[in-house]
Amino acid sequence: MSWISRLFRRRSLERDLDKELQFHLDAAAADFVRGGMSRDEAHRRARIELGGLEQVKEDARDARGTRFVEDWWTDTRYALRTMARSPGFTIAAVLTLAIGIGANTAVWSVIDALMRRTLPVDRPEELVAVKRVGVEDGSYILSHPALLNMRAAARGTDIAAMASVFRSYATIDDQPESVLSQLVTGNLFEMLGVRPLAGRLLTPNDDVAPGGGPVVVLTESFWERRFGRSPSVIGRVIRVNGTPVTVIGVAASGFGGLIVGQSVDMFAPVTMQHELKYRMNAASWNASTDRPWVPQMGISWLTLIARVPEAARTAVMTQLSGPFRNYQEQELIGRDSASRADVLRERLELEPISRGFSPLRQSFGDPLRALMVSVALILLIACANLAGLLLARGAARTHEIAVRASLGARSGRLVRQALTESLTLAAIGGLCGLVVAHWSTAALLKLASNGIRAVPLNATLDGRVLLFALAITLGAGLLFGIAPALRVRRVNLYESFKTGGRVVRGGHRLPLGRLLVVGQVALSLLLVVAAGVFVRTFQNLLNIDAGFERETLVTARLDVRATGYDPGRLPGLYDRLLSEARAVPGVRSASLSLGGVAMGLQLISEYVVPGRTLTREQRRAQESYVTPDYFATTGIRLVAGRVFTDRDDANSPKVVVISRTTARRLFGTDSVIGKRFGYSQDALWEVVGLVADVRANSLREDPPSMIFKPLAQEPRQYITSIEVRAVGNTAPAPVISGLRNAIATVDKRLPVRDLVTMEAILERGLTRERMVARLAGAFGLVALLLAAIGLYGVISYSVARRTNEMGVRLALGASPAAIAWVVLREQLRTMAIGLTVGALLWFPVLGLTRRLLYGLSPHDPTVLGVATSLLLAVGLLAGLVPAMRAARIDPIEAIRAQ
Amino acid sequence: MAQSRADLLEGTLDMLVMRALADEPLHGYALVHRLKLTSGGRLTVPHGSLYPSLHRLENQGVLKADWRLTDSGREAKFYRLTAKGRKRLDADVAQWRELSIAISLILGPA
Repeated sequence: MSWISRLFRRRSLERDLDKELQFHLDAAAADFVRGGMSRDEAHRRARIELGGLEQVKEDARDARGTRFVEDWWTDTRYALRTMARSPGFTIAAVLTLAIGIGANTAVWSVIDALMRRTLPVDRPEELVAVKRVGVEDGSYILSHPALLNMRAAARGTDIAAMASVFRSYATIDDQPESVLSQLVTGNLFEMLGVRPLAGRLLTPNDDVAPGGGPVVVLTESFWERRFGRSPSVIGRVIRVNGTPVTVIGVAASGFGGLIVGQSVDMFAPVTMQHELKYRMNAASWNASTDRPWVPQMGISWLTLIARVPEAARTAVMTQLSGPFRNYQEQELIGRDSASRADVLRERLELEPISRGFSPLRQSFGDPLRALMVSVALILLIACANLAGLLLARGAARTHEIAVRASLGARSGRLVRQALTESLTLAAIGGLCGLVVAHWSTAALLKLASNGIRAVPLNATLDGRVLLFALAITLGAGLLFGIAPALRVRRVNLYESFKTGGRVVRGGHRLPLGRLLVVGQVALSLLLVVAAGVFVRTFQNLLNIDAGFERETLVTARLDVRATGYDPGRLPGLYDRLLSEARAVPGVRSASLSLGGVAMGLQLISEYVVPGRTLTREQRRAQESYVTPDYFATTGIRLVAGRVFTDRDDANSPKVVVISRTTARRLFGTDSVIGKRFGYSQDALWEVVGLVADVRANSLREDPPSMIFKPLAQEPRQYITSIEVRAVGNTAPAPVISGLRNAIATVDKRLPVRDLVTMEAILERGLTRERMVARLAGAFGLVALLLAAIGLYGVISYSVARRTNEMGVRLALGASPAAIAWVVLREQLRTMAIGLTVGALLWFPVLGLTRRLLYGLSPHDPTVLGVATSLLLAVGLLAGLVPAMRAARIDPIEAIRAQ
Repeated sequence: MAQSRADLLEGTLDMLVMRALADEPLHGYALVHRLKLTSGGRLTVPHGSLYPSLHRLENQGVLKADWRLTDSGREAKFYRLTAKGRKRLDADVAQWRELSIAISLILGPA
């Protein structure tokens, strides 16, 4: 009979064993009777000869070889019965574990999806991006002719390219819809090994000539969401940003581009740049961005990706350096010597991108890591809590253990049983934890989104994640189970039988339990302090002076370019927009701008100032083209000079308004009115106004150098933003809907996005900080709660243990208040040690959070002070009930129990 | 003359059990007496250690057991040696004889 069948036929095997041994006893007894013994005597002798029926059975059972599993099964059933007997404790324990394990699993699965998963392409470890390093943070963009030269120079290597993901407007059913698109070279899919799910994908034939290849490839998610996976979409012609294109296929499932966290809807060939009106993330030098970009050497807009196995990388870099020098030559034209030096400092590098690009990874990497540490701490605290509770409970079960030991249970067996109890508890907690993980992963991603679209990360509970959950469940179970299990061995049989198990006495004062609570208090202190600094950071950022109005300023993003206006009709459009906007009731003033107020389009250029040599940082600034009412509408403060008027038009001298930072960088002084500067020595503008700094990029970043020009002096510019200022203190909803109607009145085809107050826009920019603050706050609260439970548990147990001691004291004349003080004093002592340990850990641990904070040091003493007081208060509160219980002890009862 | 459990190595007991059962199938109680008889009274195996040995050998496929009626009409579990058991017995005996020669040589003449 095989091992497995022996396992499942246990009951019949036991019956056989009984029958066999019974036969043996009867046969032996019969022989003794035949020898002249009495029946009773014979049976007794037979039993003695056999040598202990139960013992023999046990040995026979051992021989069966299935002992381990059977014991484990018995122990598990016993553990479940024990847990059912104390439902309160079990539920609390399971809940604590579920939250701890679930939270850890959720964070890990998000981190895994964001940081560790490689791209779903062939051999991702061979993929590299061509990076330009040597100046600031480096960049990736190069021009199309440079790409062609590099392909020619590195013949054996596949080189593809892609542009940034951009929002376009596709007319599918006579209605323009916002669609995320990406321009890629025809060979990208082949190079990555991505196969079509339907139809065909882009090939090198599709990007041969500018304007050539009016085709698009959809991603599976878009195909499912928008077309319901209908095969009839293949071959259909749709209009994207006004240009008709044919849908030729759908990319393989799971492929959404090389940028993790951005879900592309459709891909188009790079040669369609001009037709699809792509104008993002480009650097131009001596080139015209109004003409098609593909043939122009001076417009850099493509990120180059290549498949280069590690061994070949040095060789390929050498091959590419020639074309790169060539490309740099055109960048040098017309620059002064300082500028030339900057350009020549750059060189090429091949950066491995097996995990794709991810701006999400960069911005959320640190907070997620901090999150991982926090949830791990919470789980540790929870385990310490459980260990303490199990220890206390174990101490109360010494009688039961003593009985079992005296019946012959070996200590190893008892330890195994205690450990099985803990592991079973952990297993149940872990299973519930999976439910918590599923739900909290979704919640986490929602917190990380900025409200308009959820983060498209595929963080589901797959095999890796489940394995992780299993590992920490096991780890947690062992962690909190080992101490109570080992404690079982130290049960003194004699003592416990003597006292009947009612009084738990012992020389040792359960230092392990106290130690656990000390640890809990220390860790809780860290989490509460962390909560404090993160919440303060968020508040600091929220309250910063951005340099413009927030609540009363409403802006909207308009995609004028996508609607297909030709430049001649723009002035008329702008006039109509302004007059309709001003007519909306509740509007004080309105304006238009190229880049919005903050976090909008950035146009960065380099400038020269006659007679001054500028460093790279000094000569770069952001430009925006604005209508005259812009400053009044946005509330940007004028410091000196004047703002634009209607007289600053195409026929009058070119003027600019600059911000303080620009003034200091370009001229080194604040008195800049009347000074002149420009792109080059021959085209200079006059500074007519100086305004206060504006945090135009994000609240965290320092204000950039801003240069404002009158929109009227830059004809043919497509604005992207309209601003209105509301009367009064807030922007009421009627203003917002009024503005939407006004724009629709002017042109209902005009796509409008993000029609909200600047306050809302700024808050979106603080998504990361808000997520961290909320989570840290939640963890701080959980830590406080767990610490309170732990403190309450250990002090209650201590009171129960010292009941007779206190009874004696009361009988000898101590006042109840004094007894209560004894209890509280012990609590304070425990807390003091815990807080001290916590304070020692505080310095190194909090120092790690420096990068995430703003406006305060990670070692801010106020936060530490508040956290300490909070914990002390909680600890004293937790000790209050046991203290009062101690004061009310009836001395007679207490002594009698002895 | 009763041997204590510790004197008989587990493997040796297994070998003796196999040898005894090679002649005819027996049940546990009869096996005790057979061993005592065959050893001329020198070996009384403690009853309790016999059954673990029997069960172990049964699990290993060396013995096969089935329930039969004894002369007295009761049902008892009889064990017999399998073909696999016979091979194992031969190997064990050969090994034992080698060992016992070695030991005798080391111990020298009596």
